[in-house]
Order: sequence, then structure tokens, then C-alpha cells
Amino acid sequence: MTKILFGLKTLYFGFALLLTFTAHAQSTTVSGTVTSADDGFGLPGVNVIVKGTTNGTVTDFDGKYSLNVQDANATLVFSYIGFTTQEIPVNGQSVINATMTEDATALEEVVLVGYGTQIKRQVTGSVQTIDAQELADIPVSQVTQKIQGRLAGVQINQTTGKPGQGMSVRIRGQLSVSGGSDPLYVIDGFPISGGINAINPDEIEDITILKDAASTSLYGSRAANGVVLITTKTGKAGETNVSFNTSTGIQYVPERGRIDMMDAVEFAQFKKEYYEDQGDPVPEIFQDPSQYEGKTNDWYDALLRTAPMQNYNLTITSNKDKLKTSVVAGVFLQDGVVLNSDYERYSLRVNLDYAISDKVRVGFNVAPNHIIDNVPRTDGSRGTGILFNALHTWPIMPIYNEDGTRTTFNRFPADTGNIFSYANWLTSAEQIKNETKEVNILSNAFIEYKPIEGLSIKSSINAEFYNSKYEFFSPSTATYRINVPIPTTAEAIWEDENDFSYLNENLVTYTKNFGDHDFSLLGGFTYQKFRRDFSRVAADTFADDRLPTIQGAANINRGGTYDRVQEWSLVSFLSRLTYNYKGKYLLTAAIRRDGSSRFGADNRWGNFPSVSAGWIMSDETFMENQEAISMLKLRASYGVTGNNNIGNYTQYALIDNTVNAVFDNEFAPGSAVSSLSNSNLGWETTKQFDVGLDLSLFNDRVAFVYDFYTKNTTNLLYNVQVPRESGFTNFSDNIGEIKFWGHEFAVNTVNTTGKFKWTTNANISFNRNEVVALAEGIDRVYGPGGWHITKVGEPFGQFYGHLSDGVYLNQEDLDNSPQVPGRSTVGSIKLIDVNGDGVITRGGDDDDRAIMGNPFPDFTYGITNNIKYGNWDFSIVGTGSQGNELLVRHLYSTTNLDGVFNLLSDVKYRFRSEENPGRGFYGTTVGGGNVTGIERDWINDRFVADASYFNIRNITLGYTLDGVDRFFKSARIYASVQNAYIFTKYWGGPNPEISVQNDGNGDGGNLASGVDISGYPVPRIFSLGLNFNF
Amino acid sequence: MKKIYLFLVMLGVLATGCEDELTIFPEDSLSVPTFYQTQVDFEQAINGTYVPLRTIYNQSKAYLGEMHSDNTYYARNTAFGATEQQEDVADFAIPTDNGITTNNHVTNIYVEHYKIIARANQILVTIDEAEFDEAEKNNIKGQALFLRAFSYFDLVQFFGSVPMHLVPVLSREDAALPLSSPDEIYAQIIGDVQTAITLLPPKSQQQAGRVTSGAARTLLANMYIVRQQWAEAETQLRAVVNSNEYELMPNYEDAFSGNSDNKNNMESVFEVQYKEGAEGLNGSFLYNFLPRPITAEEVGAITQTSNPQPLNGEGNNIPTPDIIAAYEDGDLRKDASIQYVTLSESFWRDGTYPIIKKYVEPHSLHGNHGMNFPVYRYSEVLLFLAEALEEQGKSGEALPFLNQVRARAGLGDPVGDLGEAIFRERRVELAFENKRWLDLVRTGRAVDVITAYGNRIKSNPNDYYYPEGAEPRSNAFTNISLTFGLPASESSLNPNF
Repeated sequence: MTKILFGLKTLYFGFALLLTFTAHAQSTTVSGTVTSADDGFGLPGVNVIVKGTTNGTVTDFDGKYSLNVQDANATLVFSYIGFTTQEIPVNGQSVINATMTEDATALEEVVLVGYGTQIKRQVTGSVQTIDAQELADIPVSQVTQKIQGRLAGVQINQTTGKPGQGMSVRIRGQLSVSGGSDPLYVIDGFPISGGINAINPDEIEDITILKDAASTSLYGSRAANGVVLITTKTGKAGETNVSFNTSTGIQYVPERGRIDMMDAVEFAQFKKEYYEDQGDPVPEIFQDPSQYEGKTNDWYDALLRTAPMQNYNLTITSNKDKLKTSVVAGVFLQDGVVLNSDYERYSLRVNLDYAISDKVRVGFNVAPNHIIDNVPRTDGSRGTGILFNALHTWPIMPIYNEDGTRTTFNRFPADTGNIFSYANWLTSAEQIKNETKEVNILSNAFIEYKPIEGLSIKSSINAEFYNSKYEFFSPSTATYRINVPIPTTAEAIWEDENDFSYLNENLVTYTKNFGDHDFSLLGGFTYQKFRRDFSRVAADTFADDRLPTIQGAANINRGGTYDRVQEWSLVSFLSRLTYNYKGKYLLTAAIRRDGSSRFGADNRWGNFPSVSAGWIMSDETFMENQEAISMLKLRASYGVTGNNNIGNYTQYALIDNTVNAVFDNEFAPGSAVSSLSNSNLGWETTKQFDVGLDLSLFNDRVAFVYDFYTKNTTNLLYNVQVPRESGFTNFSDNIGEIKFWGHEFAVNTVNTTGKFKWTTNANISFNRNEVVALAEGIDRVYGPGGWHITKVGEPFGQFYGHLSDGVYLNQEDLDNSPQVPGRSTVGSIKLIDVNGDGVITRGGDDDDRAIMGNPFPDFTYGITNNIKYGNWDFSIVGTGSQGNELLVRHLYSTTNLDGVFNLLSDVKYRFRSEENPGRGFYGTTVGGGNVTGIERDWINDRFVADASYFNIRNITLGYTLDGVDRFFKSARIYASVQNAYIFTKYWGGPNPEISVQNDGNGDGGNLASGVDISGYPVPRIFSLGLNFNF
Repeated sequence: MKKIYLFLVMLGVLATGCEDELTIFPEDSLSVPTFYQTQVDFEQAINGTYVPLRTIYNQSKAYLGEMHSDNTYYARNTAFGATEQQEDVADFAIPTDNGITTNNHVTNIYVEHYKIIARANQILVTIDEAEFDEAEKNNIKGQALFLRAFSYFDLVQFFGSVPMHLVPVLSREDAALPLSSPDEIYAQIIGDVQTAITLLPPKSQQQAGRVTSGAARTLLANMYIVRQQWAEAETQLRAVVNSNEYELMPNYEDAFSGNSDNKNNMESVFEVQYKEGAEGLNGSFLYNFLPRPITAEEVGAITQTSNPQPLNGEGNNIPTPDIIAAYEDGDLRKDASIQYVTLSESFWRDGTYPIIKKYVEPHSLHGNHGMNFPVYRYSEVLLFLAEALEEQGKSGEALPFLNQVRARAGLGDPVGDLGEAIFRERRVELAFENKRWLDLVRTGRAVDVITAYGNRIKSNPNDYYYPEGAEPRSNAFTNISLTFGLPASESSLNPNF
């Protein structure tokens, strides 16, 4: 949070004194300590000057000062941002101690808004800010991990535990059919082209989330998903600070929440019973299950490890004379909890801000970083993700040979029912390289000119460079697939990506006050351009595993080898008028006009206006007697924003130039139009209305914020199917409507002050959505796997499948119940006849499937407590989500009743006979795939699990060391636990926040969210940290 | 204040350049506004127009044209399911509701032909505005007209009324058209092919594999024959014969393309072009036409590849006892058209099945071969001409053309009715070239012939490759309809059907 004192002049006065400090004559020395009335501690950085002179100093870290005073009758002036200035006559004293009290009225917090700042009191939109200082102790690599649960209306999920990856951020539940849903990230005023995973959190000063249309509409066609503004560190006035922070941690996957699979004995017992129930002879290896006692091969566990992590950051900030600088250098090293996974980040940021004269200021920021990460193919469905493969590998298959060496490959004879063979997954994890090396460079330069009072003209140039090299190599001795004998064909993929984004921004701000009327007018013009050059080579069949080079490959895979160029440009005009009357009647109107290369030629420009108003009721005379209420503000806003994530070239009819022919037995290059053009293609439009209330009670001891919003997203980008008589399959159009609404509550309380200082910050959010319309004549869209439905009148992306009702317990039950014709038997799964036609069918819109679950929570919440007592500090952060469900997709293998894979331990309680019906949950194994296939392939409500959770996300205990001031200004030591404990009933895996599509790449898109296929687990982390300030 | 003014002027200058900055065409692929300009563009476009033929002839056309007749059947593999798409075609049991079907092969043919039509339309609508060599332009235009007409001819014969697109679809609204009647379609495509004949060069002046004036005349004659316009057909066919561009290959078996040689030989009027290799231009139809399950060794003995793989599933397009019996004694074509293979894992009798030999050619890699698929051969031109003459009562003129074909097969004068003889000759001369079903339909024999054929299968399933104890499905031969239903996936998007 940025704080400024309206009486900034005193500060400058102070600096001026410092300059002349050495020029004093013979005098007496006055010294003393300046403390804070709040906690009694010494207050560093307080300006102490002799009134009426330029003679002064600044208190040191302990609040001590010493000043030569020439006139014994002089008066000392003590001033500090946010505190009431004090004057104390010297009266010949040589020791003068001062106690500073916080000054609520002189202090005006300002917050960052789009293209400027505003006094927090006067903000009329829905804006929330987090000071990065609060996040410093959390031992994770990504800033989004640190802010989980701290913001009302912002749902952040860690969908996979892969180091450095997997955070999903949704502001106010925004989503779309095929456009992206990630918010726009703006770093120091620069809307970057991607996410913020790569940024060293230690570079960040604060994070501001813009939620409603009034605060985001200045970002126009990119604002519909919300905007996250990030400010990086700058020097604090008058200070030079050098700090070094380091932490080291240990990560591991807790036992709690792991999938309860059969051990070797249980598995052999299952197989034995399988053959017995079938009436077939039991293969020898299953005849005596007890022989496997203590011989379980837990393949999943074998892939996990306890892994170290380390973080080092050196920060230097300085703000002296005309120059403000900050330098942050960081190294973050993390080994993953899955074998052979690791993440390294080396980062640097240099920010400079120089005042050339009173009227002209220039600044330069540059922030390069380098990231290397390697994660074997852990996440993915059967046959594509090593963790899933390991999960369902038979526990009687040996990881190690008798002699202690690793097995290379496991396949049992066909008569054991082993139809899939498996490589040794430990070898796969260790030998398969899946590495990305990135270089990111973010840079800005600006010049600001203030020709007259109240007028500022600022022009900036911003550039973002990104380069990544991806290398995948699976040697002949390893595979991530199943059923691939070792040795196999070695495969490789190389990808090379270069991105460049350039932004020129020109802003004019004019602020003027006429009596009770305050005006501020902003006008701007911006131009941004992005280009990505991407190339990919896929090859296989290498002469030697030690030389995974392109020239070493016998075969280049043409289908996987290509070049891509992606470009877009955006030209924008923007303006905002802010007006207030007597500081209590507030009005803001803003508009942005965006022209984008992504929009069709007949729809190239979009206007994104917003208006908002606020009333500070507590400033009215009739409220004067309400002692308890220190501030009450009512807010309302309405505006239009867009989502331009519609693809760069979707509007064009593209030519496919790989439609090649043959003539005279020779290759003949050919081309054909491969898509329909749409010159009217445009952004997705979101119209949002927000009402809010800010209430502070008991002298700001309690601060409460409430918001209600409702928004409608229309013109969703959608690939409408067209009849293929046209020669095409679909047409990209703006179609359909989704309605969103929600409530957000946040409260901050100062529970105790003084030596024992305790603050609490809590929030809860309720987000809802409903599909209002899809394309003409279409009332539903199925997800990619067919397990989700997005249907008019229902919330988006609901789980869709059959509803189950136990198993058919006996012949009578079977005869009297609807059946799957030719497949249902006594003991097989009993499904509900939803369409009432007397039989159970699957396929088409009118079959027996129904909505069976909802991936969206009823509400999400977070609570943070901070306690300070003397030198001790303690904080605990909890985050939760209630009512959300997950589709436990791995059950199609892990409850496969044919005994092909290892199974959930609970499958032992399946139906075996009328006399032994088990728990009426898992069906009979008799009848083969014709019978058992229904249970696993016809996704049903048994796959849906409640994933509500409350996670003690972080606990930190710190101690500030005394008596170190000979060496450092200050030093602090702390211990921290991340993901300390998760309270949940979720049984499908260790991570109730998981969401992976069946291909294991990314979060599956909005049409298919909330799927668990046993991805990379999220570790618990114990860490120890040290902070030094020099 | 002057500086502010200057700044505002700068803004204005920047703003005027906007529209150019906002027009970004994709760099990694061409798009319509930048394509269809030069000769090279149109050469690529016409090449692309041929491409769907590879898909059509690799599988579905053979099933709808040949296995949907008494010439070929499937070799039932009782150990394998999910084969109903092919079985429904061969069994005349395609589920059809109100003229609509979900059958894959029917849908494939429909969709792929409309790709050709859309690509041809794009060329025809833009080529006149491009400026390049007139002869080249005419050649490309002629090919586009031919290919579009060829596709509509297939569609109208298979489906009857279909939507007729003659200009490229540019919007969602234009994508669905009402059905045009066969008369409307023939009127259009007969005119188009007549134009194509004037634009296309003869075979000797055309790149091998592309359509020619001779191919266009043959296509037009075929249309006239279906329409029973015998005199018009005769004119076109005589022009082909008199062009001296074509001759029968001395040996029947040499009439068919090798894997990389003997392509577009002197007998070839038009054939679908394939090329073996990794470029994705290959065919694999030979593999679709093998009975299964078949071991790697057995596959290797047929294909002679270096990496034979076993094949599971169900084999299709297996010659029936009926076609085998249709060859006269001493017909050299029989052994050139059919060979026998023995499958050690088959459930049927001793596992010795007939397979189509015309397309058995050694090649290098499993599932990837380069044989072309014949569409029109000169022998068909001769048989067409014989038929057109015979139908006009000019039997004396017809016989020499028929005998030219028979002589190569080692046969003398035909016996019995000349018209019947020509029809029988077509069956064996053009066996497995996707002619049989359409011949049955155009001659009005389809229902009788297929009903009798179905009865034979139902009474003797074992003769038709059903393993002992296996029976034809209950719905076999319950839908002997002269046209296929229109695809259900299209019906759901086109309000007109």
C-alpha cells in the first residue's frame, strides 16, 4: 500500500537539510529516541529538523537521532509519513525523546487504478490491494500461490503441483466457451502478453485487483476477465535499504489424501476371486495371495521423494536527491517431489527514476530472468501420464529385481489377464527429459513532463521479450506410454519460441480544483503490438540415446514439425473524468476505444464505457453523531468490457497449403480454403453492474467491504457447426450469453493493539453463473470427453452422465428394473432410466444421462490472522472452498473390474453373489467388458466426489533478533509451513483443487473443468527463513 | 502550451496510421484475400481440388459402389465387433429414417465430394479476374469444371436430390441450400462438362494424372448413358475412340497401375493418383480389402513389405462366389482379377479366401502403397460405345467394340442377347472398379438382382464367409433402396431436409 502525506513538503525540506548538514557551526548536541505511540518501538526514518532552518537529520533504525543545535531556544520539528507532526522546544535539554502518534486525517491512502492513482476514500469502483510485504514469508515460487484465499471474488486454484506451474486465476467467476478466462496482468503499467508465473515475487511492492467494470473499462477489450495491477519495488523516500532474505525448505507429499489402492495381497486376492467367480481356474500366481505379504510394490510412492527448495533475494532500494532506485536479485531453486522434476529461477530487476528538473522526470525499469524447469510427463491420462500409469500398475509387478537392480519392463503371461505391459516408471521419470528454458525480459522507459500545476504529460515505451526452448527426449530405454516394450523407439521434440511485445503509451492528466469541485481528466493514446515466432521439430529413431540431436534422428516426423507466427496489434484511445464535490459526492466516467487486428474488418473498433458514483455518507452532517462509524461509503458502477482472446486470425478464411496432390507419380503442391471468414468477428462483451459498501467502525479498527455484482457476457466466441455441403465444418461467430452474479464480503479487524497486536482479515465470496443462450438452435455443448454439459438454463460445464442406484441385487431386481439391453446382469451396475423409456441407453441428446455434479463452489473463503508480540510475530492463513465437486476420472482405470489394472482398495467390497452383495457399490466382475464396461465407460455419478476443503495454507512464526544492530539494521528468523493441513472429504486424490483435462495439458478449458486424473501432487513445505536489513 | 499542442498533433498523426497497423494477415498460412491471384495460386488450388478423391477411393467408394452389390461381401470375423458401418452397406441394411442415415461411409462420400465442389467453386469464381496465360487458365478452369461435375454426378447417382452449390459459401446463411432435383443437377453438370471439353487439352498434351478432354467426353458420355441419351453418348464416345489418344493394354493385368510404374498408361482415361511414401499421398485400400484376422507373415506374402503387421477386425470387399462364377470359361481376366489367400487364424472353413488381385502390388512399407485407382479405362469407353450403339439398334456397329474387349480376355463372340452380353461383360471387365451397383441401378435391375443375392446369402451363409453357426443379421437385405439416405449430421444442420 502506498502511503503519502499530504504535507510532503516537509520531506523535501528534510532532504534539503541533509544536503547542508555538514555546513553547521559550533553548537550543542541534542539526541534522543523517537518511538511510536502504537507499540512503543523506535521509529526509524523520522525527520528531525530545527524549526525555521534547514538543519536536520533522520532517525536511525532504532529511532535514535543526534542533532547539532546552535540555538538553545530552538524548536525541533519531528515529522513522519502517517504520523502527526510534533514540535518540541529544546529549552536547553540535551536529550529529547518524542512519541509519534498515527494521524488518521493527514494520511490519505492512495490506490493504484488503471492509468493512474486515486485516493482510496474516493475510489468508486471495486478495487482490492495486497501489500506484498504480507506475503514475503510464504515459501512458494509464484505470486499467485501467495495470494490464494486473500481476495474476495478471486478464485485461485493450484491445479497441479508441478514446480512453477498450474495456477488458475478466475476473477468473479468469469469464463467463456472458447475465449480465454485469465485476467489481464499489468506490470508497472504494461499489460503483458502472458501470465505472471515467471516473476520473482520479491520484486513486487503491491498487487491490486480491479474487479468491476468501472475500474477495468480503461483496459477495454482485454478487461472482461478482470485486471491485476502489479507494482514493483521502488525506494522509500530518504532511505537506503539493503536487505537479504533467504529461506530453505523441505517438501513432501503427505500421506493424507493419497488414493487408497490395493496392496499386493489385496490385489492377488481380488484376482483369485475374479477367476473363482467366473468359474475359471485360478492362475498360479494368484492362488496364494498371502505370499505377497510385505511385498507390495507401491509404484506411485516410489516416484515420490522428499525434496529441498531454496530461495535467495537481495534487495537494494534507495531514494535520495533526485534519484530513486531499486535493485532486486533473486535465485529460487526447487526440486520437485516427483523424481527428476526441478525448477530454477534466476532473476534481476533494476528500477530507476530520475528527476531531471522540477518539471521533468524520467524512469527506466528492466527485469530479466532465466528459468529452467524440467518435469517428466507426470500429468496425463492412462498411457500419457507417468503418475497415472504408476497408480494403476499391478502392485505385484516388481520395481526391483532380486539383485536390487531395477526391472526394465513388466509383462505377465496372457493367462493372468495382464493385457497391458509397463515400463519401469522410475526409469521413465528419470530418463525422460521434458525441459523448458526461458528467458524473460520486461522493460519500460518513460518521460513525464509537468509544464504547469496539475498537468502531467507522460509518454512511455515498454517492451517484453520472451524466449523459450523446449526439449523433450524419451530415450530407447524409457517410455511414458503403456504397452510399449523396452527398448523402444527414441523420440524427441524441440520447440523454440520467441515473443516480442511492444507498447507505446501517451497519457495526459490534468487535475484542477475549483472551490468544492475537484476535477481530474485523463486522456491517452496507446499502441501495442505482439509477435510470436514459434518452431517445432519432432523426430524419432535415434542412432544413439546419447546424441538426441536433429541430425541424429533417422526420421523427422513431418506432422509434428512446423513453424508458426502469431501477431496482433491494438490501437487505443482512452479517457477518464473524475469529479468530486466536497470530497464526498464522487463521480467517475471512463471510456476506451480499442481497434484490434483480431477483429473483423467490418467490426474493427469497440467502445468500452463505464460510469460509477460514490457517496461518502459518513461525511454528512447527519452522520456526525455516529461515533462508531468512522467511514461509510456507498458505491455503484456500470460498464462494458471485452474479451479479445478470440485468436489472432480467426476472422480470416485461411488457406491450407498442405493439401498436396500427385501427378505423374510426383508430389504436386496443393492448397485449399480451410476455414470461413467472418469480417464481423469481434470481442466478447461483458456488461457489469456493481454496488458496494465500504464501512469502517470504531476508529478504523473494523473495516468492512461488501460488493454485489451482476454481469452478462454476450457475443461469446463460438465455432458454430455449418453443414458440410459448404465444404467447411464450422464458422466462428459471436453468439450466446452467460449471466454471472455474486456477493463478496471482506473484513479487516484490529483485534488488539499495543504490545500484543492482533489483526484478522477474512473474506468470503459467492459466485454463480448460468448459460442464458448458445447458438441459434443449439441448447447444449458437450465437453471434450463427453462428461460435461454446458446447457441453456444451467450453470456452465456441469458434470454429465448416468445416475446410479447401486447394483441389481438379484434376478427379481434385474427383471423389474430398466436395463442396458444385452449387457445388464445380476450384480452389474444399476442406472436410472432418466428418459423413462424402460431401457438404459447412452448416446444422443435424449438418452439417460443427466447433470450429476457441479465443479463450481457454493462459496470460497479465506482467513488470515497476524499476531505480533514483542519480538515475535505469527501468522496463519486458511483458505477454503465449499460445495465444489470433482470428476474422479481415473476411476475408469482404478475401478476397472476386469482386473486389468490395480484397483481402489474399496473394490474388494464389490458384489460377488446375491448372498455376498458387498456394499452394493461396485458391481460383479463376471461377464467381461460387455457387463463391466458400463460401470467404467458410461461415466456415472460414482465418479463425482465432493471436493470441499479448508486448507491451513500457511503458518509462520518469526522472531526479530535484538542486539544485532552492530552488524545489521535488523534481522529476523522465521519458520513456515505451507499446506499445513487440508480438511476435506475428497477421496479421489491428494489435491482437491486439481483440474486437468484428459490430455494432461492445462486445466482443460471451461467446458471440461474439475477433472482429476491423478496429476502432480501439491507438497507440504517446511521452511526456515532469515531476513537481514543492512 | 505549445508543447501540449504539438503532442496532440502527434497523437493525431499516430491515429491516422491505425487502419494499416490493424490489418495483420497470418504469416504462416495464406488467406483468401492474398490468395487466388497468380498462376501458381491457381495451380495449387486445382491440385488441392483433386485431393479428396484419394479419400473417397481409398475406402468408402468401394464399399458403396462395389460391396453394396453382388460382387463383393465382407468376411465375417465373429471375434470382432463394431463392424456394423461396413456390414450395413454390404447387407443392404443401412438404417435409414425418413431419407436420413448416420452411416459413416455414406457421410464420408457426401462430405468429401462437397470438399471438391467447394474448392472448384472457389477457383471458378475467382480465376477470370486473375491475369495469366490464357491456355493455362483454360486448362485449370476445365479441370475445375470437370471435378465439380464429377462430384455432382456421383452425388446425384448415389443420393438423388442434393444441395447444389455453384459459388463458394461465404457466410453461415449461405451454407445450407435446398435440395436440387436430379434434372436440375444434370442440366448444370452436362453443361459444365461440355464447357470443360472445350477447355481441356487431350491426354497427350496434359500432365499425366490430370483430367483431359478425353476424360471429360467419357464423363459426359457416362452421364448421357445414365440419362439414356444414347445418340449424344455415341457422339462423345466416338470422339474419344477417334482421338487416337487411347489403346487397350495388350494384357488385361497390365491395365492396372503398379505401385510406382505403369501409372496412367495408354488405356487409362482417368485414375485417382496415389504415391507411396511419408508425404501422406499414399493409399492403403489393398489393406481394407483383406480378410481378417491375418498374421504378419500372411500379410507380408501379399504385400512384400519390409515391416508387415498383423491385421485384426473384419475384412471387406471380398469377391463373392457370384462374381467368381460370372467369368466365362477361359476368361483370362479371372486369374488377373482374383487370387486366393489362406488365413491360419480364420474361423471360416479352411481360411482360404478370394481377394481382389487387381490392386495387389508389392510395395515397401506396411499400409502405404502408391497404386492408382482406376476411374475410367479405355475398355469402358469401348463397352459404353457398344452399349450406346446397341441401345440405338445398331448392333452390327456395337459388336466390334465389345469384341475388342473380349478378345484381349481370350474370348470370342458373345452368345445370346447382345445387350445382356454387354451388361455381363461390364461386370467382369470392370469388376472391383466400383461400377456394379450403379450399373444395376441405371439398368433397373438392382432390386431383383440384390433380392436374389440376399436370399442366396441367407440360405447359404457359409458360402458367403460366415463361419459355421454364424448367421446373417436379422436386418440383412431389408433396405434395398436405389439411393442412399442423406447424412443425419447434415440433416441436423440443414433445415431443408
